[in-house]
Amino acid sequence: MKSPIDTGGIAGQILSIIAPGRPLSRRKVLKLCGATAAGMASWSFFGPGAAGSVPIIITEQSHGLVIGDPTRCVACRRCELACTDFNDGKSSPATSRIKVRRNINFGPTGLYTGQQTQGDWGTGLIVQDFCKQCPHPVPCADACPNAAIEVKPPVNARVIDPEKCTGCKICLKACPWEMISFDPETTKATKCFLCNGRPKCVEACPAEALTYVSWVDLTGKVPPRITPTLNKPYACGDCHK
Amino acid sequence: MFMTARYGGWVGRVLRVDLSTGRITTEDTVEKYKDYIGGTGIGYKVLWDEVPADTKVFDPENKIIFATGPLAGTSAPCNGRTAVTTLWPTCWPRHLVGTGHMGGHFAAEMKYAGFDAIIIEGRADHPVWLRVADGKAVIMDARGVWGQGIRRTTYEISRQMGPEAVVAAIGQSGENLVPMSVIMNSVSHSAGGGAVMGSKNLKAIGVLGAGSIHIAGDKEEWEKAVKYHLSLFGANNQAVVPNSPQPWAEHYNPATRWVASEGRQWGSANPPIDTGPCDPHNLNRIAYRSNSAAFFLGEQGWRHTVRGNGCTGCPIRCHTIIKVPAVAAKYGIPETGQNKCSGLVFGKSFFRSFPDGLMGQTSIEACMVGMHLADDLGVWNNYGQLQRDFQKCYYEGIFESKVGEKDFRSYSWDKFEKGDPAFLFELLPRIAAKEGDLATALGLGTGYMLEAWGIAETDWKSDHNLHYWKLGHPKHHSNEDAGQTGVIINTQYNRDAQCHSHTNFTRNGLPIEVQKKLAADLWGSPDAVDTPGAFTPMNVYKARMAKWSLLRKELHDSISLCNWMGPWSSSPLRERGYRGDDTIESLLYSLVTGDKKSRQELDEAAERIFVLHRALTIRGMGTKQMRTKHDTIPDWVYGDDKDRVPFTKGTIQMDKIDIQNAMLMFYEEAGWDKETGSPTRETYRRLGLADVAGELGKKGLLA
Repeated sequence: MKSPIDTGGIAGQILSIIAPGRPLSRRKVLKLCGATAAGMASWSFFGPGAAGSVPIIITEQSHGLVIGDPTRCVACRRCELACTDFNDGKSSPATSRIKVRRNINFGPTGLYTGQQTQGDWGTGLIVQDFCKQCPHPVPCADACPNAAIEVKPPVNARVIDPEKCTGCKICLKACPWEMISFDPETTKATKCFLCNGRPKCVEACPAEALTYVSWVDLTGKVPPRITPTLNKPYACGDCHK
Repeated sequence: MFMTARYGGWVGRVLRVDLSTGRITTEDTVEKYKDYIGGTGIGYKVLWDEVPADTKVFDPENKIIFATGPLAGTSAPCNGRTAVTTLWPTCWPRHLVGTGHMGGHFAAEMKYAGFDAIIIEGRADHPVWLRVADGKAVIMDARGVWGQGIRRTTYEISRQMGPEAVVAAIGQSGENLVPMSVIMNSVSHSAGGGAVMGSKNLKAIGVLGAGSIHIAGDKEEWEKAVKYHLSLFGANNQAVVPNSPQPWAEHYNPATRWVASEGRQWGSANPPIDTGPCDPHNLNRIAYRSNSAAFFLGEQGWRHTVRGNGCTGCPIRCHTIIKVPAVAAKYGIPETGQNKCSGLVFGKSFFRSFPDGLMGQTSIEACMVGMHLADDLGVWNNYGQLQRDFQKCYYEGIFESKVGEKDFRSYSWDKFEKGDPAFLFELLPRIAAKEGDLATALGLGTGYMLEAWGIAETDWKSDHNLHYWKLGHPKHHSNEDAGQTGVIINTQYNRDAQCHSHTNFTRNGLPIEVQKKLAADLWGSPDAVDTPGAFTPMNVYKARMAKWSLLRKELHDSISLCNWMGPWSSSPLRERGYRGDDTIESLLYSLVTGDKKSRQELDEAAERIFVLHRALTIRGMGTKQMRTKHDTIPDWVYGDDKDRVPFTKGTIQMDKIDIQNAMLMFYEEAGWDKETGSPTRETYRRLGLADVAGELGKKGLLA
């Protein structure tokens, strides 16, 4: 479920300047990083958090990520249920860290797509949405005013520390894929932590539609049928080819 | 504060909506219904307490109850069914209690929206739909969608509620009070009773919620239990033996629904996907084992398969999505369709032949046209009885003699005889619109159709090919699957029996010697089961199996497990001697709710629910003479078209005296009076139904 961000807070004001009324896209976050690269410390205007005023800039790669094959997905949602049943002791697709439910009826583009409608009411194709365990920049971690999203062993997943999370929901808006949920029962945000290397969703899939694979950095590779364009922010050039 | 907080599984509230007054209230699920668990249990309880015996099906006093149990919406496999209980519109000659079992995603979403069940009562004064979202219900104006099909209605309501909403809607058929109507959700998942919704001016219920269901037990224990349960899974209808030789398999049996094999592909997936050997130990390939399109349509089914589909949390995808591009241009319908079993062949089974044969391209086009029309108009097929009635009435000249000439001539019978699927565009919309004598009569259901045309029911009961049983409905897995056990089961309900506990064992594909070994553990003797088509005379173990089967059906329909898959009385695991586990329900129920109940205790709860159904039937019929007036058996069961003798190889026919004996043994096992077939006062009392016995006693309906 989408939740409106608290636009009264300082963080909300900043986010609404960046993207008024709209979630941040990955591209915008990249741009934002470029714009503020002169001084990452400028992020500290999120205010003095208990965990330190400087957000965590994650540069370590996650060991892996879960990927889905839509052709094989049979829309049973056992992945979503395994995620919250076995991790949280409750069945809660709304807070599941893999998201299929929202694409089951009409697909990711919703029901205004006529002949192109996916999902059960359209072509039958089900797209599974999963956390990309983004490499740097990690939009959710960068946006968190409390530095509550960190890299954690054993697999370097980007993990929310519930002790630090204040439930402000900024990360929900920051994720370009809307993969972070707010759990009204814990009043914390929740996201995929790869089940510490044995993702329960992958284990639960009865159709081998999900796999846990290593993160391969393909940023330096130009896909064969794409004309390369220089769209990376200049400041990223220090680290990225 | 709801008492349910002490328990997991149930979300705690039942929603009650009075459409006459617009009053919306809630009640505590556990406080009021815990002894009846959920699902059909809640449905029967509400009908017993609140709907007087003389209520007619379309009276505002009739109620329709959408109910789930504690497992719906959880990780327990096969938890997708919603029990829809009401007075049954096609039950002839009077409307007795009946339930439909709707799969899809409605059950889970209703619970995430905050409700275990929804009770609809009264009648709105204009078309409405019910919006149920995050614990709140609102009655909405439905005049904008009245007259629309189920697809359009679902789209419109989804526009208002959001694309994640699950919508259970009726089509034009239900609106027009055609008794043969369904309520449909998630494209292809239906329950009967559409006309009851129509009679209440209720077009649809949309559910949506961000809520959760709590697992009371330890989450690691729960994970273990769920994985253990999955390890016992076979294919659809718990077939535990593949239908072709597989590298891992000791046995194979060409008749089973375990159809996966290397080289058999979901041919219309992009790219095509091989179903492979599907070793039962690989829980990540369960979804490939079954394919309804392949099982019912053969080779062409494989070619057109896009993928399997089905209910929430179920790894067995018994609905198959098929893609037949030719139909888009030819008939102007979507090129994909989905369903299973008699819903998949809804259109095809009207026809006796097709220009390119029964398994050719035209036949699959007929399937597509049939699914498209029936699942949008919301027409029910009464488990194929509609199509069998249609063929008989046409080929035996009944239509021609019973309906007006103008009406009869208005159909393109040449198209029908040629096997042209376009014929369905003439027939099905007219059934939904009650247009003309012929279509109107078909929409009544078999019993009322025969009555309208002055045809004796005995004509139907003696015809082998019709599969007609009683009260307007056909058999559903009877003697052809389980001899006397199947016959007993088919006598007990007021519609087709909807029980699979017995067939999911006898048709599991295992050799009879293995089945007999398992049967000895389950029902006390290897003699409980025979090879189908080589039956032996009745014995008490078959009666035990019949009772067990019926109780498991009600248990599943109450805790929300699918009786089309369960019980798990066998498994595909050679190392277990193919044993299943009939305590799995108790394991899952206890962990999810925190209300620890043994197998016996749950069976007793199931018996309470089953006997309450019996009491409702007795009260509805106004007689305790169940044995002679309700539990009847059609003559075709005792006949054989090749004059073979009962209990010889190759015949499914039964012996009349033996079946009388079978019924008496069953009544004895059930604790019912043998003379009348009604439960005794002691049985009601034992099950905590003393008040039910009291009410029946006052009416002279107690044995």
